[in-house]
Amino acid sequence: MSGDTILEVRDLRVSFSLRGRRLTALRGAGLDLRKGETLAVVGESGSGKSVLAKTFLGMLDRNGRVDSGSILFDGKDLARYNKEREWLGIRGKRIAMIFQDPMTALNPLKTVGEQIREAAALHRGLDRVASRAVVLETLSRVGIPEPELRYRQYPHEFSGGMRQRAVIAAAVACRPEILICDEPTTALDVTVQAQILDLIKSLQRELGMTVLFITHDLGVVASVAQRVAVMYSGQVIEEGSVREVFYDPRAPYTWALLASLPQLGVKGEELYSIKGTPPSLFKEVVGDAFAPRNPRALEVDFKHEPPVFPVSDTHWARTWLLDPRAPRIEAPETVRRLRARLARGGAGAAATGGADTGKGGAE
Amino acid sequence: MIRTIPEVPAELFRPAAFDEAAAERTGYARYSYWRSTFRTFLKSPVSIFLLALIVVLTTASFVYPLFAHMDLGAVNLDTETWNLSPNRDHVFGTDGLGRDIWALTWYGTRTSLLLGFVIALLDVGIGMIAGALWGYVRKLDRIMTELYNVLNNIPQTVFLVLLAYIMRPGFWTIVTALCSTGWIGIARFVRNKVITIRDAEYNVASRCLGTPLRRMITKNVLPYLVSILIMEAALTIPYSIGSEVFLGFIGLGLPIDTISLGNLVNQGKNNFMLYPYQLTWPTVILAAITVSFYIVGNRFSDASDPRNHV
Amino acid sequence: MGAYVLKRLGQSLITVSIVVLTVFLLLRLMPKNGYFTREDYVNMDRDARTAYLRNLGVLDDPFTQFGRFLSGLARGDLGRSITVYPRSPVLDVIGEKAPYSLWFGLAALALSMALGLGLGILMARFKDRFPDGAGTVYVTIVRAIPSLIWLFFIQQWVTALLGWPMVFYEDRPVSWVLPTISLALSGIAWYAIWLRRFMVDEENKDYVKFAVSKGLPWKRVMRGHVLRNALVPLVQYFPQQILLTIAGSLLIESIYSIPGMGGLLVSAIRQQDNPLVQALVLLYSVLGVVGVFLGDLLMVLVDPRIKLAESSGKGAAA
Repeated sequence: MSGDTILEVRDLRVSFSLRGRRLTALRGAGLDLRKGETLAVVGESGSGKSVLAKTFLGMLDRNGRVDSGSILFDGKDLARYNKEREWLGIRGKRIAMIFQDPMTALNPLKTVGEQIREAAALHRGLDRVASRAVVLETLSRVGIPEPELRYRQYPHEFSGGMRQRAVIAAAVACRPEILICDEPTTALDVTVQAQILDLIKSLQRELGMTVLFITHDLGVVASVAQRVAVMYSGQVIEEGSVREVFYDPRAPYTWALLASLPQLGVKGEELYSIKGTPPSLFKEVVGDAFAPRNPRALEVDFKHEPPVFPVSDTHWARTWLLDPRAPRIEAPETVRRLRARLARGGAGAAATGGADTGKGGAE
Repeated sequence: MIRTIPEVPAELFRPAAFDEAAAERTGYARYSYWRSTFRTFLKSPVSIFLLALIVVLTTASFVYPLFAHMDLGAVNLDTETWNLSPNRDHVFGTDGLGRDIWALTWYGTRTSLLLGFVIALLDVGIGMIAGALWGYVRKLDRIMTELYNVLNNIPQTVFLVLLAYIMRPGFWTIVTALCSTGWIGIARFVRNKVITIRDAEYNVASRCLGTPLRRMITKNVLPYLVSILIMEAALTIPYSIGSEVFLGFIGLGLPIDTISLGNLVNQGKNNFMLYPYQLTWPTVILAAITVSFYIVGNRFSDASDPRNHV
Repeated sequence: MGAYVLKRLGQSLITVSIVVLTVFLLLRLMPKNGYFTREDYVNMDRDARTAYLRNLGVLDDPFTQFGRFLSGLARGDLGRSITVYPRSPVLDVIGEKAPYSLWFGLAALALSMALGLGLGILMARFKDRFPDGAGTVYVTIVRAIPSLIWLFFIQQWVTALLGWPMVFYEDRPVSWVLPTISLALSGIAWYAIWLRRFMVDEENKDYVKFAVSKGLPWKRVMRGHVLRNALVPLVQYFPQQILLTIAGSLLIESIYSIPGMGGLLVSAIRQQDNPLVQALVLLYSVLGVVGVFLGDLLMVLVDPRIKLAESSGKGAAA
C-alpha cells in the first residue's frame, strides 16, 4: 500500500446479536484513508457506513463485535482492541467523530463550554484555566461569535447550526488526526448545510486533518471529497477518486445510484429508481448482494461473491463485470452521458463536476 | 487490493433474468405490531411460566369451589378438628373452626381474584374513557387537573375509611373505595399518552395524507393505548389484592365471615405464635398471584414497546 | 417569577380548600352517636346527649360548622379532640406524635436514598447481569407482595434471630433499627427502579455516544453525564417525600407499637373525632401541595430548560 495511507481497513466483518439472532452489518469491508484527504463514504441507510465508522473508535454497541479483519492505524490494529484503556489513547484524541443530529449530541443539562472543555482538558492534560482558553479559542475558530457568553450557555440556547459548530469544536479541540463526520448536515436546514461543509473544509486545511465523510448525499460528496467509497450491504463495492467514481463508475450499484440522481435525469423522462429493497442483514448473502435488484446481473452474481478488481491504480470495484470472461454490459444511459462529458471536457469537467452533480441534495 | 480470483465456471458469465418480485423478497419481513409484541413477550420462558401459573391458579380457584361443596358457615363443634397441624387429611392443617386451610385458600383466592379483576376492569375502563376525553377535549383539562390534584391530596385512607363507614363493609365497598381514587391515575396516564400521540408528527402527517379516522385510531393510537391498558390492568390486580390485605389489617376489609386471602392472612398472622402453619399456604398463594401479575404486567409493557421489537 | 409564585400559591390554596371542604362534609354524613365515647353514651340520658352534641356544634348545619372551623383556623385554633384523646387540643396531640414519625421517616428516607440510589446505579451499570437480576428480584418482591406480609415476617424472624425486642422502646436504640429498615425497604425499591430506568434511558441517548467519542472514560461518562441527568427527574419528588414523612406509616407503627402519626387518622375517623380528622387532612394536603410546589421550584434549579412559567409534573409516578 502507498506510504501515505493513514488508516487501512481490510476484510472487516462486524456482527450484532439481536435477541438471539445475528445481524451481519459488515461483510468484509475494505477501505484506505490517505493522509490529508477527504474520503466520502456513500451508501443507503443500513449499508453499514456508520457501523464502519464506529469501529474506528471502538464504539460499537454492546451487542456488536468485530468478527475478523483489520483496521491498521499508525502500525496498530484497532480491530484487536478490546479494552477501554487501549481505546482511550485513540478516541477523541487522535480520531474524533461528529454526529448526525446536533440537537441530541450535546448533554442538555451541561453548559456547552464545559462539554468541550472536559475532553480538551483530558487529552491535552490542561488545567481548568488553560483548557478554558483552548475552548474559547476553538469556539471562535469554528465561527461561534461571543465565545465568552456562549461558553456559559446551555445547548437549548443554541440554534441547530450553532450546535453543530459546538459539536465540531468539541471534536477538533484536541487536534485529532482523523475527523469522522457522520452525516453532519443531514439534520440541518439547507441554508446552514453549506456553511457547515465550508467550516469542515477550512478546518481540515488549517489543522491538517484527514476527514472521513459519511453521507448519502452525492451532491455533498462532490463538494467536499477527493475520493469516494461506495457501500452496499456491508461491503465497500467501489472506491476511487470522485472523478473516477462519478464519471467512470464500474459497479452496477454505483450505476444505479448515479442514475437515480434527479440532477442527471432527462427532463420529461421518469426518474430512475432502484427496484426492490436491500437484503435483510439477518440472512446470509450468497453471491453479489445487489444481484437481485440489478436488471443487468449475471448468473454468476447469484452464486459467487465478486472479488476486488482493479480499474486503475486508484480505482477498484467489486463486480464480476470486470472479470475478463464477463460479457460487455452497457451502463445505463445517464451514466454513459456522464462518461461522455468527461471525455469531452477532460480534467476541467471533473473539477466542476461538483457543481454539475448539484448541491441540492439527492438521496 | 488485488486478490486471487476464485475458480468460477465460465458459463455463469451470462445475463440472468431479472425478477422484480425477487428483488422485493430479499428485504425485511413484514412487520406486525401485535405479532412482534406477543413474540417478544413469549420469548421469555419466565413470562410463559407465570402466565400459565395465573391461568392455572385462576381456573383452580374458580373450579375448586364447584366440586368441594364445603359448607363455609358450618361451625364444627368437635374441638378435635380445630387448629390441626398439617396431616394426611389436611395437608396445610385446619383453622380455628376446623376448616381445611387448603380448601379455604381456594375460596379465598377466588374472592381476591374476583376483587382484583373487577377493580382492574372498572379502573381501566373509567380511566381510559376519562383519560381519552381529558386528552382530546381541551376544555376539560382545567377541571380534570384540579380533580386530579384534589384526589391526589386526600389521603387514601380517608376515602377507604369513610366509605367503609358510610357504606357497610363488603365487596362493593372495597371496589368503590379503591376505584374512586384508582381511575384518576390511569386517566392521567392515558391523557398524557393521548396528547403525545395526538400531536406526534406521524399523526399530523397521517392526517395530512388523508388517512381515515378509523384507520388512524386502530393503527396509530390504539396499539399504544391498549398495551398501556393491559399493563395497567395487570398491575392493578396485585395492588387491589394487596389493598384488601391492608384493609383487613386495619379492620375495614371484607366482613370476617367472607373468605378472602386478606382475611386468611390476617387470621393466620394473629394465630402465628401458636399455629404458624395456618399462614403458610395462603401466603404462598397470595405471593404467587401478586408476583405473577406484577411480572407479567411489566414484561408485557416491555414487549409492547416497539423499541424492543426485532 | 413573583407572579408565577403567587399564581401557584393561589392554585394550591384552592386545592387545599376543596380537599378540606370535601372531607369536612363527608364527616358530617357519619351517624351522630359516633361522637360519644362508649362510657359517656351509657352514662348520659337523652337530654344530656343532645346537650353534649349541641355543645360540640355538630347539630348546626354543616356550612355554619365550616365557618366556625375557618374562624378557629384563622386564630390558630384547630379545636380539641373529641373521642381519641378526649378534650386535648388537637395541636398538642399532633405535636406529641409527629416527632416519632418524623424521625423514623427521615432516617428511613436517608437510608432509602443511599441504598436505593446505590442499587439503581448497580442495576444500570450491570444491566442484564447478576446485580440487575438480583435487584429486580428484590424490587419485585417488595412492590408486588403486600407489604404486611413481608413486614410481619421480618419482625418475626429478624427479632428471633438477633434477639432484638419485638416492639419499639423509646430508651432502647436497638429497637429503633428494625422499624427504620422496614420503613426504608419500599423506598429503596422505588429509588432503585426509577434511577435504573432513567439511567438506561439516558445511556441510549446520542449525547452519551458523543461524550464517549470525545474519549472520556466510561466511568466518567456514567458519573458526569448519565447519573447526573438521570437524577434530575427524581429531584422533583424530594420535597414531597421529606414533608410527608410526618404522616408516618400505619403498618409499621402499629406492628412495632410506635406512638407516631401513622394510625392516628384511621382511629380519628373510626371514632368520629372530627377536629382531629380535619386537622390531619389539612396538614397532609398542605404538606402535599407545598411539596409539589417546592419540587417544581427545585426542577428549575437543576434543569436549565425548565422555566418557571411552564407547568410541570411529568416524569416518574409513585
